[in-house]
This record gives sequence, structure tokens and C-alpha cells, in this order.
Amino acid sequence: MIERRDPSPVLPPPPVGRVVATEQKPATPHQFHFWTATETSIGIGAIVRVEGSGGGAQVSGRVVYGVVTDAFAYSDLVTPLHDVVGAEGDPARAAENPTARQEIRLWTAAVLRQIPAEPLQPVPLGDVHVATDADVAQALRMDAYLGRGGAQPTAIPVGLYTSGGLEAPVYLDADFLLGPEAAHLNISGVSGLATKTSAVEFLLSSIFQHFPAHRGRVAAVCFNVKGPDLCFLDRPGTLDDEDRRRYERLGVGAHPFERVCYYAPFKADGVNLNTLRTHPDLVGDVEPLVWGLREVLDYAEVLLNRDDIDAKADAFIDFLSDRVVDREFDDGFGGAHRVVTFADLERLFRSIFDGLELASRSDTWRTHHIATIRKVRNRLSNISTRCKGLVADDGPSNDLPWGRFEDRAVYVVDVANVDPLGQDLVFARVVSKLREHLERRDLGVEAVVVFVDELNKYAPGDGPETYVKKMLLDISERGRYLGLVLFGAEQFRSQVHRRVVGNAGTIVFGRMDSDELATPGYQVLSPATKIKLATLPVGELMVRHPHFTQPIFVRFPRPAALRGRDGVERFPPAADLSFDEAVVRQLVKLDRRVRPNAVKDLIADRREEDVRRALAHTRQARPQDAFANFKKELGRRVAPAMAPGSPLERQSVPPLSPISDEPY
Amino acid sequence: MSRSWVDAILAAGVVPASSVPEASLGRTDVEEFTGADLVEDPELRIHPLVGVRPLAPAAVAFLDGIEHWRVAGYAGVTPIVEAYVAAAVRRRGGDRRLRTVAEQTEELAITRLDRLPDAVRRALEGTEVRVVEIPAEDAGLPARALPAARVAMQAARAALERRLAERHAAAMSAEEWLVVDGVLSDSAALSAHPRTLGVVKSHGAQYFEGPELERALTLPVSHRTSVFRPRTRGARRDIHSWYLRLWPWEGKDLLYGLLRVEARAHADTIALASRVSAWLMDERAPLATPDRRWDRLLYPIHDVETYLRARTPRELLAPPPPSLPSPLPRTGS
Repeated sequence: MIERRDPSPVLPPPPVGRVVATEQKPATPHQFHFWTATETSIGIGAIVRVEGSGGGAQVSGRVVYGVVTDAFAYSDLVTPLHDVVGAEGDPARAAENPTARQEIRLWTAAVLRQIPAEPLQPVPLGDVHVATDADVAQALRMDAYLGRGGAQPTAIPVGLYTSGGLEAPVYLDADFLLGPEAAHLNISGVSGLATKTSAVEFLLSSIFQHFPAHRGRVAAVCFNVKGPDLCFLDRPGTLDDEDRRRYERLGVGAHPFERVCYYAPFKADGVNLNTLRTHPDLVGDVEPLVWGLREVLDYAEVLLNRDDIDAKADAFIDFLSDRVVDREFDDGFGGAHRVVTFADLERLFRSIFDGLELASRSDTWRTHHIATIRKVRNRLSNISTRCKGLVADDGPSNDLPWGRFEDRAVYVVDVANVDPLGQDLVFARVVSKLREHLERRDLGVEAVVVFVDELNKYAPGDGPETYVKKMLLDISERGRYLGLVLFGAEQFRSQVHRRVVGNAGTIVFGRMDSDELATPGYQVLSPATKIKLATLPVGELMVRHPHFTQPIFVRFPRPAALRGRDGVERFPPAADLSFDEAVVRQLVKLDRRVRPNAVKDLIADRREEDVRRALAHTRQARPQDAFANFKKELGRRVAPAMAPGSPLERQSVPPLSPISDEPY
Repeated sequence: MSRSWVDAILAAGVVPASSVPEASLGRTDVEEFTGADLVEDPELRIHPLVGVRPLAPAAVAFLDGIEHWRVAGYAGVTPIVEAYVAAAVRRRGGDRRLRTVAEQTEELAITRLDRLPDAVRRALEGTEVRVVEIPAEDAGLPARALPAARVAMQAARAALERRLAERHAAAMSAEEWLVVDGVLSDSAALSAHPRTLGVVKSHGAQYFEGPELERALTLPVSHRTSVFRPRTRGARRDIHSWYLRLWPWEGKDLLYGLLRVEARAHADTIALASRVSAWLMDERAPLATPDRRWDRLLYPIHDVETYLRARTPRELLAPPPPSLPSPLPRTGS
């Protein structure tokens, strides 16, 4: 698995440096200093091997691996003034000095590993060598999970360590990336370079190809929260020869994800999908994400904040959820209800208000105050308005395939253009459902990677305790026992909740903002490492992993999947279709035999909400003959039978007075 | 360097000592009036170097040496001096960096063998160290023995430098020059070599008197004197020489920034004196600080010296811990 790029046998390379120790800069068990020639391949992040020699068995047999964290260069110039004097004040003359001053390249390295580990001693003053592939594996303790010695490998390639013409694959330990030993990954970096998303895409691909079979099945749920970032994971991207070489070196196939399922809510019209993956060639793969009353009520806490909802409202929502929804229910005024949709609920509310008004003018119903009922009604109806397209007033839901998750499949939930309230609902519900199913071991896979970008927004270090933040904290702290793994990304790690980033076993840094690097969380990094982080090229990362005692720089190839911005150029989103065209497209997607004109004729004089409801039922049923099913659904519900004078005939709820002193 | 011979003589009964005399400042010029004959001008004149095109050799080698000594012990009242001499040639090529091309070191035991007890003498002779004897008349009082030992050591150093320089000069290409720290006239080969220079920083020898002396010692910066021929003395060979001022001396000292350059006694030397001087003016930078002699010390020579000192055995640079307890209380610093 570990191999040299040039396989030709060579003599042991000469040392590139020598450890030095002074009273001011001593060698310690965790740090040492060495010098090299002025021209050297060593740089910040380079891994080196020190071999002790002389000084007895404890020194001569000792091998120390270190990573370069800082560098110094200086000459024998006593004071800058002497250079001025020597050049007679002319900087141009300074460069013409016949002799170059003696100068030094002095490097500081942090110890990665000592062999033997005990007794732990200062680094011997020995020769310094550039690390080979085998050295890198030893230095990063990767030998423990590369499958040597008969153990089953759990190594996941993350990138190539590159230094001085040598490069070596760097692996993460699946047990520490996806659990159960440690879990979660957090990636930080400035926005706009596509490094974070690219890195996660590559790593997911690597996980899917290398996650050991004996550890079970794995899938990923990716929330697309901005633009087209994750909309083309199933399409091949553009790779150059260097990318392909890196894929080959890492043992990762350079192909896009084979199984990708896209979910996106509708737009407010209820028929056009709210995603940038609407190109005619691709939109057929996108499943609508439609939730109804049950899905909303279960996560009412997400949508209704504490300022809105008190204990009384909470109790009423619980009452609705437990006693009313999906049950045969008598409203006490002679009306029988089966509340399944928001429309059904609205009918129940109207029935209650009318009943109270007409019957006894009482201000309580089933122990719930009328004001509380009105408030809950207002808030719930507001949800269906703000999240129109995601939350349907009527008709069945369309959801992720709970219990039928496939191994090595990516489920992309596109909420980029959804109202923030709706995004919160999607996060909370999807992750909660994942947790529920993983706890019951009936999701279909044993581990799920949840990728959430913009953690600055969803799990900020300060601000109110939202349901989403609590949920992300819960994943971070308990997810690894369940197989629920959070891959989080953000621009400013310092502004993400400490427990979210603190629980991430693997930390990845792309190019960082200088201001961010000045925050206390980065004090452990040397100034040189910070400078390197601030200028990291695209495609290079700094990785911290439980097996690595120091952060390591790696390079990774561009993801084999089409990047979002390239995708929208190659597959430009289609303009929104007219209502009838959109209905036709969805039916054709279900059944290619459907004739567009027949559909248009059928819905020409129907109300749009009826058409949407019929379409949703047809989509849910997935019948052999989609048109016949659609026609049947449309005919059955198009004109709800209502008795004259029934509550639904009224267009508004009559005012109640006096109701209460409660200040709603 | 092995210290086994010191251990051997201490084991043989020598009383250890830890005296480290002041390090030598290098070979100095003779301190006497020798006189000179002018070969370029009828009288000692001052030649400006402004506008002179410097000589620009493709490669230049620089030679210097060092010496270290310490009194290893006393056999009776006879000192046994442990001496270390070293010399190196570092060559500068097109990349402006100096690299060592020749190096030689020698360890010496300096004493008077016939004043040593038999056991000590046998112990000393049983080792591989080269023993250099001081004259019998100096072997009594340490006040005379130690200066004699120093002279012996300097002679060894001069011989070492001369051997190394002659060997390198013989192998130099036609585009290469050799600059030696000190006089050339010790060596017949160097004195006659067309591309070898001696750069003398000490000015013990007096070549002029009266107004010419004043003219030489008050030479303005970026000027040289006429080329002259020091009058031959002792074993020294015929040579051409001139003074060169590297830095303004006004406000400092007459000898500040003053070099004396030696080259072979040849008409070409007179022809090239100004161009060679302009070249040496260029060698002022980088400054050879922090050496106190930086005003006269060329940086490459300083570099050779630094190189040699860096390679000097550590035990010679600092006295070994005394075997006998000091009567004085220990003090901290």
C-alpha cells in the first residue's frame, strides 16, 4: 500500500541536516532543532527522521520522527548597520559583495514519534534525513491501521504528503473518523476557493471506496446549503494528469459517485423544484421533498421558538399530535375529523371556533383556551406559508427513504434556496430521523456521514440555543456511538460552538484568514505554520487526526465529481415551467407513456391545489398507469363535498369577544 | 584530536595545569626598520583608486591559519605545552560562496625533553604526538619557557600555512588567485607566484622614514602608495609591496584600515597594483565584524578563521576542569 514513486533501488540517501542543541535552544522529547544546507528540499510541514548515533544504546538505537514547524535563517552579520556600512549606504552594492556571508538554515521540528517510545528522552543530536514513505507511515502511526501484521486495515486515504520530491499517501483511521473510537470531521477555510467542499467530496469518495466491509455499510447525507455546490455529484468533473496521478497514488478511483439521490422541495408554486439541478437532462433524478402536518408537528419545537410558544401552547400542540392527527376525532360540536394535512387541521380549527361561537360562547375547548388555540393556529399556518413548497397544505409527504438507505450512496438534500426556517426544519427532521433509525438499527446502513456546511450559521459559538444547534451538539457528543458522523465545514472555526469543533476527531484546515489565525484557538501553531496556512494553495490541507501528534500537510486531487459552478455552466438550470408543463413533466417522469396534451386537457379547468394534491398522491403511489391514477385522484378530490352551511363555507373565522386577558 | 598523550604524561607524574595564554593574533610582521626601495615611482606617491577597474578573478582562494595552546602540566618547573595549529584554504567561485578545498591540522607537545623525568619522557615518547623542543637556555624559568614555546608553535603554524599555500598555488588554474593572510616572503614559491597576494594587517616593520613614512601612514581612503621593494632581511625573498587604505583613518588611528599588500617582484605587479588594490577595496564588504580587526581583515580571511575555530577541538578552547580543588570559593555569575 505504501510505495515509493520511483521504485528503482537506491542507496540510503545522505543526511540533509544535523540536530543541534544549545542552552537557549535545547533538544527536548517533544521538539528539536536542526540545520541544513542553504539549498534544501526541507520546508514547513516536512517530515524528517533523526537517527541517534553514539552515546550508548539508548541514543544510538533511537529513531525520532518530526515535522518541521518553524524555520530561521540568519548570517554572521552582527547588526544591520554593518551591512549598511559595508555597502556604503547603497542597497544595490550590498548584492555585489564579492563574498556571500555565511548563513544558516535552522529548522524547528515537533516530534511525531520516538522509537522506542520508552524511556521518553530528548531527541539525540544525530543526522537528519528526509522521510521516506515507510517513515511517513511510522511517523504518523499509520502502521497501526494499514493492515500490517495481519490486522484488517481501516485506512482511508486523505491525501499525499509531499516534500522534497518524495510523496507518500496519508491515511486516516476509519475507526477514528467514523467511529466508534472517535468520529466527526471539521474543516475550516476561507470561502470562495472550493477547497472545503472539494475536500469533503474527495474524502467521501475515498471513504466509500476504502471503508472496510467488516465495519458495515455506510452512506452520506449532504445538505446543500448554498448555490449548486453539491448538485452534480453524479457527473464526472474535469481532472488533469496530475489529479489522475494522485488518485492512482492514493488508490482511489477517479470517478463520480455512483449512487446519488437528490431531494429538493418545491417552489411556492408546488410543481417546480427549488434547486439548481433543473436542467432537463438531470431534473428527473431529483425527488421532491414534501412534508405535511405530521412531519411539522413532530418538530414544532424547531419552528416555534420560545418567544412564541409557552407551556400552554406546547400542551395544545402535544394534544394535537397525540390525540388528533392521524386519528378519528370528534370535535365535540358534532363534527368528525381525521386530520392528516394542514387543510384538515384548518377545517378542525374552523370547526372549533365556529362551535365555540355558536354553541356556548365559551372561551375554552377541551381545557385549552381559545386564545391558545388561535395562537397555535396562527403559528402553524405561518409555517405552511413560509415553507411553502416544502410543507404542503394538503396531500401526502415525500421523504427520504428511511429504512432503505443504500450502502455507499449519497443523499443530497438541497435546501439552498429554502427559507431559513425551512432549512432548520429540514436539518432537524432529517438528522433526528437518522438518529432514530440508527438507534433502531433499521436505517439500511450502519454509519451515516452528515455533511453540513456553514456551521458558523447553524452552530455558532454564541447566540440563542436553537434546536438545530442542540441537535448538532447532540450528534457531536453522542453520534459516534450510533454511527452518526458529522462532517462540518465553516469559514471561521473560532466562531463555531466549542463542543461541536472540540468533538471532531479529525480537523482539517484549508487556506485560513489571517484574522482567524490570530484567534486563541490557533496559538498552538507556530508562526510559520500560520503563514503557510494563510497561503495554502487550492488542493492542499493541514490535517489533524488522533493518530497524528502534529498537524500534517497533504495534497489531494480535485474531486472526480463535477464542481457546482462548472455544473451550472454545463447543465444550466431550466427556467420555471408553467403549471401545466410542470405537472406533465412530473407525470412523464413517473410513466413515460403519459401524453402531455391529455394531462393538460385534464387539468385545464381544475384548481391548482387539487391538481397538486392529485399529483402528490400519484407520486406516492407510483402506479403502473400514472395518468389513470392521476385522473382518478383528481376526480375524487376535486370537489370536496360540503354541506351547505358547513364551517368550510365560511371564508373567515368570526371574531370572538371577549376572549381572554392574555396578551396575544 | 586525541588527548591520550596528555593523559599519559599526567599519569606519569606531571602536575596538571590549566593555564591558557592569550591566543595569538596571528603571524605578525617583523618589528624593526628594514627600509625599502621604490620601484614604481621615484618617490613614495599616493595613487587614487577611484575609477580604477578592479581586477576580477574568476576564482579566489583564501588561506589563513590559527593556533591554540595551553600548558598541559609541569614536570618539575618545565612546562609541557599542548599546542594545536591548523590552516585551511577556502575557495570562492562564481556563486560567491566559500568552500574548503584544503585543510591541515597538527597537534604538538612543546617542552624540553632532557628536563623531563624519565617516566614523563617515556610517556610522551610513547604517544604519537610530535614533540617540539624549546631551546635549552629557555627551559628554566617559565617566564622564558612559555614565550619560547609560543615561538615554536608559531613557527609550526607558519610552516603549516606555507606548505598548504604552496601546494594549492601549484595546483591553481590560470584564472585563480590565492590571497594569504600575512607575508609572502617566507616562501620562495609564493614569492614568485604570479597570482598570489599577501595581505598584512600588522605594521611592525618600518620601511620609510620622515615625510615618506608620514605619507604612507596618512594615506587617504581608497588610495594606495607607490609600489616598493622591502629590503631583504633574513630568509625573506624579494617581493613587491604597497600600502592600501580601506577605510578613512581620520578620527580613529593611523593604522586604521591600513593594509600592506605583498606580491611577486615583477613588472606585472606594478602594472596591476591599482587594479589589485581596487579589487581589495571591493573585498571590504561584507564587513568582517565582530572581529576587532575588521577594518583591515578581509571577510574571506575572517571566514577561513571562523571555519578553523569552529573545527578546533573543544578541549583546547576551554580549560579542563581542575584536578585539584581551588582554594578560592566558587562564585556564580
